[in-house]
Amino acid sequence: MRKVWSIGIVLFLVLCAFQITKEPLFSVPTNWPKPIYDFSKNPLKSQKVELGRDLFYDPLLSKNNQISCASCHSPFTAFTHVDHDLSHGIEDRIGTRNSPALMNLAWHQSFMWDGSINHLDMQALAPISHPDEMGEKIESVVLKLQRTKNYPALFLKAFGDSIITGQHTLKAISQFMLTLVSSNSKYDSVMRRQAQFTPQQKNGYALFQKNCAACHAEPLFTNLQFENNGLEVDTTLNDYGRMRITKNKSDSLKFKVPTLRNIEFSFPYMHDGRFKTIAAVLKHYTNGVKQSSTLSVHLQKPMILSSNDKVDLTAFLLTLTDKTFLFNSKFGYPKK
Amino acid sequence: MLKRIVYMMMCLLKGVFLFSQSASCIKFNPTFGSEKLSADSVYYLNVSDSIKITSLRFYVSNMELLDNNKSVWIDSNPCHLIDAFNEKTLSINIPSNISHSSLKFNLGIDSTTNVSGAMGGDLDPTKGMYWTWLSGYINFKLEGTSNICKTRHNEFQFHLGGYQHPFNSLQTVFIEISSKSTIEINIDLLKIFQQINLAQQHHIMSPEQDAMDFSEKVINSLSIKK
Repeated sequence: MRKVWSIGIVLFLVLCAFQITKEPLFSVPTNWPKPIYDFSKNPLKSQKVELGRDLFYDPLLSKNNQISCASCHSPFTAFTHVDHDLSHGIEDRIGTRNSPALMNLAWHQSFMWDGSINHLDMQALAPISHPDEMGEKIESVVLKLQRTKNYPALFLKAFGDSIITGQHTLKAISQFMLTLVSSNSKYDSVMRRQAQFTPQQKNGYALFQKNCAACHAEPLFTNLQFENNGLEVDTTLNDYGRMRITKNKSDSLKFKVPTLRNIEFSFPYMHDGRFKTIAAVLKHYTNGVKQSSTLSVHLQKPMILSSNDKVDLTAFLLTLTDKTFLFNSKFGYPKK
Repeated sequence: MLKRIVYMMMCLLKGVFLFSQSASCIKFNPTFGSEKLSADSVYYLNVSDSIKITSLRFYVSNMELLDNNKSVWIDSNPCHLIDAFNEKTLSINIPSNISHSSLKFNLGIDSTTNVSGAMGGDLDPTKGMYWTWLSGYINFKLEGTSNICKTRHNEFQFHLGGYQHPFNSLQTVFIEISSKSTIEINIDLLKIFQQINLAQQHHIMSPEQDAMDFSEKVINSLSIKK
């Protein structure tokens, strides 16, 4: 009898250990704010996350079955596209904006450079439908998915229903995107007192806090606001950013502040990808800011950085690279 | 034998009674003037100007029946997509055993629903009533052709939406009704076209002042069938 008991206890402990070691699908990193995304309306489940990942990498979502989300949001470059300044879509069509890097999306209130999308669930509709991106209708995506051999079973496993809907398709894609959390850069280790900056990085961090942190606020490295950072209008695009959405002149030339996390890999920079290097970006802030009525209050005074300062600042920015994020096999192309 | 016949008669009567009870509904009647709206018909604004309607779809939400300003019924289904050319979407069942004196509903989708992510049923984005380039539901969609429109294929398209200040186009409708089992709401497109100049205004595709103004004109086209 005692033997049975002890076997039972051992089994119980093994099970407990298994439960503890099982990594959660999402967790809020230490000292980070509460996420904006309402997980209670779309509770994470591994089958849903995996389904979302399949969809993210599937070109079926585009009109000619050639472009997937990952075409412009590749995992090894912080889920953006680095070869082009502007996004490329079906039939070699070229969009009007630089594809943004995807990470830590659970903390975002709005999406796209102009904040036109109000919820992560609805974000995928924009590139799917845009004629210069995937050029497809969500209705057709759902029909195509329903006709495949594998997806009805995957939807059944994930949502308990093999009838595919737009709602379930979008919620699954959201689930995968929510798991894309980058919080393991050297910067993060330093903040958690597990590592130390070099003197150069430390000086760079001080310069960052003085000159950049108002917009690129820690720990997300964006204040999630819309700002005019003094870029000259590209007359081939005439993109006035947020104003198109709000129809309010005070939003002219404002774009959503992008995160600086993994900036080493997410070039080119700015909404139109005009700068290929961090050096070009810094040169813009010290020498190129164009005055206008909607210019960010944080850029009213000229930014003064010596060439040594710029080297140090760059050294700090490179500590935002998170290799465990960039090369995480769970985020990569799904195994078939 | 007689007993059985009486029993059958009673069952039949009960069936008729039940049927009449379940027939209680709110019914939308899309018309063009006095004519029932149809996708195949050509309508005339005057002798020379004709109109064809290819699509009339809109959301009604948060339906509520009131009796002397007191709520007596709230629709358990918060939202319905009405399609003028799909007969089965035109009726919404209501309980028959309550007395009511007025009806309240929203024409469109409220702001909370608009910011709550991917929804299902009538609100699924596959229904074609969601803007993909700018998040938000299209509350009301009216499309067709007219010789007055000097546009491609003489088309006109009115997509009314917008849930945020200052371009919130959601309309709340409040109508006095008699306590009848079937409440019929006419939506007369002629009344809408009489309020606009189709030669000049043939497109609304985003949240804007025009969408808000047009939404009011839609409300003006509603009436209760007496």
